[in-house]
Amino acid sequence: MKPAPRWRRHLGWLWLSLMSFTLLMLLIAYQTRWVYPEIHAYFSQAGNLTGQQLATRSRDYLQESLDLLLEDSLNEENRHQAHFQLELAYSLFDIGLYRNEYSCTRPSLAALDELKVKLRSGQGVLASDLRHSLLAPIRCLTEIEMHQLDRRNSVTAAFVEDTRRHQGQVLIGSLVIFLLGLTFWWMHERHRRSAERATRESLEWMTRALSDPLTGVGNRSALHQDVLACEGQPMGLILIDIDFFKQYNDCLGHPDGDKLLRDLARLIDETLGGQARLYRMGGDEFAALFDCADDGVLTGHCERLVGGLREAALHHPDHPSAATVTFSVGAARFIAGQAGVDAGYAAADQALYRVKAGGRDGWQVAEAKVVADNGDLKLERS
Amino acid sequence: MSSSRPFICLAAWLAAGLLLAAPVAAASPDQIVLQHNGTEILLSVHELREQADVEFSFYDPYLAEEVEIRGLIFRDLLTAHLGDVPETLHFYAWDEYDVALGGWNDDNWILVTHQDGEPLSLRERGPVRLVERDYGDRDPGNLRNFNDWIWMIKRIEAVP
Repeated sequence: MKPAPRWRRHLGWLWLSLMSFTLLMLLIAYQTRWVYPEIHAYFSQAGNLTGQQLATRSRDYLQESLDLLLEDSLNEENRHQAHFQLELAYSLFDIGLYRNEYSCTRPSLAALDELKVKLRSGQGVLASDLRHSLLAPIRCLTEIEMHQLDRRNSVTAAFVEDTRRHQGQVLIGSLVIFLLGLTFWWMHERHRRSAERATRESLEWMTRALSDPLTGVGNRSALHQDVLACEGQPMGLILIDIDFFKQYNDCLGHPDGDKLLRDLARLIDETLGGQARLYRMGGDEFAALFDCADDGVLTGHCERLVGGLREAALHHPDHPSAATVTFSVGAARFIAGQAGVDAGYAAADQALYRVKAGGRDGWQVAEAKVVADNGDLKLERS
Repeated sequence: MSSSRPFICLAAWLAAGLLLAAPVAAASPDQIVLQHNGTEILLSVHELREQADVEFSFYDPYLAEEVEIRGLIFRDLLTAHLGDVPETLHFYAWDEYDVALGGWNDDNWILVTHQDGEPLSLRERGPVRLVERDYGDRDPGNLRNFNDWIWMIKRIEAVP
């Protein structure tokens, strides 16, 4: 089975990391969006129907009623108000929860009924009536309140404990997810750097593979690659051979020969004004490649090259016919492409050969001729 | 000119007295005051009981038992008297409880007038009270789930 591409493996770590952080955000959102409102709803009961215990409110009305009757139980207005308060107290007392869970509720409600009847019928209300019909229900309501408070406190304590445990779990979960996210991110970063390093090394290797280590200019492979990258464009190729380079090396030694090669590479580049790409084809042969639509450009470059070298007057101690280093230069034009570069190279080489055969220290340009079968511009000797 | 001044003063006092007395609606468990845009409408509890046309039985969480309910769809009552359903209503109850709540454009809210065939009185948390006919899956054992129910309604004001 084929292994997954490197980029996909990196994306996997990245996704895992992003998913972890997204999960963390969701957890935080859940905590704030759902859990806190729940706590708020639980503890913020003030102002609504059950915010204050119904038993407490009922007891308040009974106490007001008791106060009115103790003040003057014969006063009609007091009896009327006390009756009204009793009704309100009854409505808040007559709750299913109280009836079912507190045995004192039903007798208390019955006692309130008895007092109501007395108040409505105009009968006198005695202290024993108040004790039986108001104080006993008030005691019952107080008992209910206390018990409900205890229950509420224990429920609150349990709720707080649950919330605390939940918060702890969320905190631990968040930390784990955060650490996972960091780990995934670190893995992604490690792989990304590793891939970057590998790419950089590949590029460096490719650059080295395409360049001449001595002079720093391109090599033969680079020339072919550059030509193929310009497919279809008219180009000029100049081959430059150093005359009697072997004698130079033999006389001055290879280190000086290497230095001469570097100097000449720089000189050729400067002479062509940086417009041409330079290559070392091997030994003492250089090539220059540039966009070239007509022979005028080609001859101009050749003249400048030979002239520039003469002007530089680099000393050659063992040159048979001159005191300075000389070039033999052959040039040709071609249409970029595999066939074109082969033809161009062959034509330029033949032109170079003719210069050498003619005594060296000179240049020649091959004539251009279009070959119809493949569209490439082939070159023939001038 | 000076002789007309006592009459003007008397007329002003009479007018002020009438202005102060006019808008105050008498509070009585026999009627509900509905206020909207500064206008007060007195609803007779007796008439509301007569108009009550919705009947159903449900488990009343506060009574912790199944009861027969009769009443009116509160939304329809508001529409009939106010022309529309105000967004928020402020309720005042006989036990001095008051609260402002919204969400009344819902036929689930019933203004209860009778319970188990009997008209509601104060001791049954009347003369009218608001309940939800269908309270879904809310736990009736937890009364906090029914905090929006309003008892002993005395006065309803549309909040502008």
